[in-house]
Amino acid sequence: MEPMEKRSVSDFAISNASVAQPVSASLAKALRRLRINDKVFHSITRAAAFFVLFLLSAIVVSLIIGAAPALQKFGFGFLTSERWNPVTENFGAFAPIYGTIITSLIAMVIAVPIGLLITLFLTELCPMWLRRPIGIAIELLAGIPSIIYGIWGLFVLAPFLQAHVQPFLIDLFGNVPVLSTLFAGPPYGIGILTSSLILAIMVLPFITSISRDVFEAVPPMLKEAAYGLGFTTWEVVRYVVLPYARVGVIGGVMLGLGRALGETMAVTFVIGNAHKVSSSLLAPGTTIASTIANEFTEAVGDIYTSSLIALGLLLFVITFTVLAAARFMLMKIERRQGCA
Amino acid sequence: MSIQSMENPVTHIPNMTVGHVGESAVGKKEKVSVRGLNFFYGTNRALKNINVPLYEGMVTAFIGPSGCGKSTLLRILNRIYDLYPNQRAAGEVLLDGKNILAPGVDINLLRARVGMVFQKPTPFPMTIYENIAFGIRLYESLSKSELDGRVESSLRRAALWEEVKDKLNTSGLGLSGGQQQRLCIARTVAVKPEVILLDEPCSALDPISTAKIEELIDELKSDYTIAIVTHNMQQAARVSNFTAFMYLGELIEFDGTDKIFTTPSDRRTQDYITGRFG
Repeated sequence: MEPMEKRSVSDFAISNASVAQPVSASLAKALRRLRINDKVFHSITRAAAFFVLFLLSAIVVSLIIGAAPALQKFGFGFLTSERWNPVTENFGAFAPIYGTIITSLIAMVIAVPIGLLITLFLTELCPMWLRRPIGIAIELLAGIPSIIYGIWGLFVLAPFLQAHVQPFLIDLFGNVPVLSTLFAGPPYGIGILTSSLILAIMVLPFITSISRDVFEAVPPMLKEAAYGLGFTTWEVVRYVVLPYARVGVIGGVMLGLGRALGETMAVTFVIGNAHKVSSSLLAPGTTIASTIANEFTEAVGDIYTSSLIALGLLLFVITFTVLAAARFMLMKIERRQGCA
Repeated sequence: MSIQSMENPVTHIPNMTVGHVGESAVGKKEKVSVRGLNFFYGTNRALKNINVPLYEGMVTAFIGPSGCGKSTLLRILNRIYDLYPNQRAAGEVLLDGKNILAPGVDINLLRARVGMVFQKPTPFPMTIYENIAFGIRLYESLSKSELDGRVESSLRRAALWEEVKDKLNTSGLGLSGGQQQRLCIARTVAVKPEVILLDEPCSALDPISTAKIEELIDELKSDYTIAIVTHNMQQAARVSNFTAFMYLGELIEFDGTDKIFTTPSDRRTQDYITGRFG
């Protein structure tokens, strides 16, 4: 040991503390065991997390490999062409891309306002005894398998729309310039609009239950302060609850949109599976997911199969773009709100 | 001076030791009169037959141990408890002689007349300017320049103007805790209420911000009737003209602040202010 006067007080304190408590052999062993446990646990969690990355890249890579022949053959035209001819092996993805995007968009246009209204009623206005039943009903709605939505859509909703709603829409907008093309043609029952309605019903519970969670996370004191200034319920919701919960609500909407874009079974039942882009929302169409589901079993020939996989890749890209755009939007909002 | 000589004599008050009301109560107008007030959280009776006046242009402090019902009482005065279905008040709260607990009272108007500042700062998720302008727009339609002027004067009143005048269009959430609380006071003042309720406004603040807000309370009392709930007895002694001591849902003693802190009539009041319990 060095002479005392050369050391600073703190040095002395530290070494003194460690000297004063000599670590016994058994304690050292226990400590080592704990350290090893920690290391093992750490590596397991890290392996689990990296496994996700591995899976993701494996899926992307295999999609790209599978899609390569079709993309090589058709090039950029694959995105813009409306043809889909298995006989001549001539494929283009425009109709399913259009169908996927348009059905999801219409579904969101319908489901987001309704979902928010339900949420507002549940969190701000609903009497206590009614909250649980409605909440449970919404959660049950989320639990219904999509095949059941498909059957219901085909056998109940589509005939109903065909008999009552679509003729009414055609008559109503028959003389309005733009709307007459949107709602033109014979009422098939099945088609873009019907799929959108089914999708809207399916994403409603997602939007509602997520926004209910974030609405309930708004601090009661903030709401009290707003009510205390004399805000009406609407003003509290519009200017306090919604801005506060915006990030979460957008998250819920994006989750719903993701589901709508990829939904397969229910849409396959009611969209009509026609490979064409029609200006009318009442006309049959197709989506990426329903095309793949419908045609995979009968896809003979490499180019046909490859084209279907390319469709899958496109769906992946679209979904990823939507999610990335949502993230980006949230970041911008947060930056605008957060800075002092 | 006995209590009977006041302009609005308080009816006989059970559960409360009526001391000699301090000299300053004489001739004061009762802006708010709480009479025979009971309050229930579900079946739990949180306030028991409360009678207390708030004199116009005076600061009244409510002190007492946690859970004694001070905040509950404050929350009745602008009926913010209405938001919660299981809470119920019985009795009378007169604002300028009109019972605000009666059915048919315009709640929004009441809350414009009786403003409230909460324990934790609660700026709305908007810009500093909008935080103040929003409440004003609810009740008045002002031109842009009038509105600007009102926002500035409110911020000045809350001693915040100098600190925020260059960043009115940034988010109110970016301010420090003390600034946020002063923003909330500015927001409350901006709609020109008659009564201001302060529910432990300084409990989340540092000493400097607390001092600023206490100064502010002192300035505001010339124009407003103020009720403040506080756990800090020095604060009650510094800022208030009258003090009410509450214990277990009852109003034990109400009197001039000097009297309460020097010669309280009730044993329990004395025990509390000397720190023997609570």
